[in-house]
Amino acid sequence: MNLPELTQETRTAHWGWHEHRYFGHRVFEELAGRETFTGLTVLSVLGRRLSSEACAVVDDAACTLTLADPRIWPLKLTRLIAAYGSTLPAAAAGLLSEEEARIGPWAMAKSAEVLQAFDAAIGDRVDEPNTVRDAVKAYLAEHRFVWGFGTPFRERDERLVSFRACIQRRKRDTHRFWRLMDAVSAVVSEVRHPEPNMGIATAAAFLDLGLTPHQVGSLTSALMQHMFLAHAIEGSAQGASLRELPSTYVDFAGHGPRSSPRAEAAAGSARGVDAARGVDAARGVDARDAAAR
Amino acid sequence: MSLPELDGPLESGAVFPARLTARVVTAGARPSVHGYDVEGDLARHYQASDLLFLTLMGELPSAAISRAFSVALMFLGPVSVAHASTHAAVVGRLCGTPTSSVFGVAAIGAAEHARWLLAEHAELIAWLVTPSGSLPERFRARDADDLAAVQRLELALQPSGLTIPALADRPTRDAALLVVLFALGVQRPEQLEAALALARLPCAIAEALAERPANFGNYPINLPRFAYTE
Repeated sequence: MNLPELTQETRTAHWGWHEHRYFGHRVFEELAGRETFTGLTVLSVLGRRLSSEACAVVDDAACTLTLADPRIWPLKLTRLIAAYGSTLPAAAAGLLSEEEARIGPWAMAKSAEVLQAFDAAIGDRVDEPNTVRDAVKAYLAEHRFVWGFGTPFRERDERLVSFRACIQRRKRDTHRFWRLMDAVSAVVSEVRHPEPNMGIATAAAFLDLGLTPHQVGSLTSALMQHMFLAHAIEGSAQGASLRELPSTYVDFAGHGPRSSPRAEAAAGSARGVDAARGVDAARGVDARDAAAR
Repeated sequence: MSLPELDGPLESGAVFPARLTARVVTAGARPSVHGYDVEGDLARHYQASDLLFLTLMGELPSAAISRAFSVALMFLGPVSVAHASTHAAVVGRLCGTPTSSVFGVAAIGAAEHARWLLAEHAELIAWLVTPSGSLPERFRARDADDLAAVQRLELALQPSGLTIPALADRPTRDAALLVVLFALGVQRPEQLEAALALARLPCAIAEALAERPANFGNYPINLPRFAYTE
């Protein structure tokens, strides 16, 4: 039977005889020996290449985002799966935990949306304090939680401090979204007190590179893979100690012991049988007693 | 090289508990689930589907709900290789990855399939939460196959003695199964998502394990044909 051909367009790749294509580029002729790993990652997320200067900003972000303490929740999760001895399942589990999560790359995508909302409200008037203040106050009145702000367990985000120095060295602190972030942060910190975090800084820098908020999330996720791999590799080699914690390290806060309705019914019916047997036995004793009398 | 003891926010900043908190399953030699002794009680008096209901709902089902829940799980179970979730598990097997990784792919596929299905039925769920008027039109069966499937569902539910009025509106098969789960108390999105994913996982795994690892030559690599454009 002839079936109609099902087709789907792809801009990503094609496998040729002697040369392969990747987002409009010949892999061997144009990319091999010429493009960096960061550049290839950018091409994968954006579908287009960025200049080496722009890729250097991405590298700065990747390096300053390297907060890889195994106690941080997605990395701890990776470590727990790695305890069974495999590497990629652990890394995959870590990656999976990032999807639309409150921490990690999706927080940066959400931060980018926040900056875009402020950009729509403030436009080119970022140097007008009253305009920025009014826009921020209006936003805060409608949003209890503001993505990109808050530095848990410390007063300021040390990654942002380092990343800011990188951005300044590259003279990118005068770009539109970076300036907007600084202007907005000053008012948010004054009104609500939370400090800006690396999420909104990464978002600002990447929006200035021309990324969409979704691309900000995807690229940041790609830039954080090395941390998952590091823990998947080290954790899978160490294994055993995390595989099962001694039960003394676990408190139970759930429902107390109880019997199921069917167990109750079975016990009730058994009690009924026992009671009946008891009556029968008593009758027997009574009869024997009577006979004896 | 030994380092001096390092300090940071997790050493001298916030204070955290020293122990994990279990809320469903007790740790140790005699496990209980939501307070019920698994080995001495549940294993003697209940089916595996009842344990699934208990884990989702926190309470055991009545006999009628147990029966109806089993029927719903049975109807939810088969997801053929035509669906991306099972298809992905089969391709994972084809790649020759360990079975544990195939299970992982199948689990992700089943979870994503369930999340997508619920998103597609968000309007139905909203209608079930606050029913007004009759079943929304887009969830009504349009073909004989759907109608017949829902009739078989009603027939299978009959021994439970439960009446689910929305089924009389002739929903699609997927909508009917969500209606049944909802009627049984499985109503929160995460409960529905878990029920769908768990019901469907075994068939996806079975289909994957039926494939031969590295059987690349017999896999339709051009289904679909990806047309490269620049």
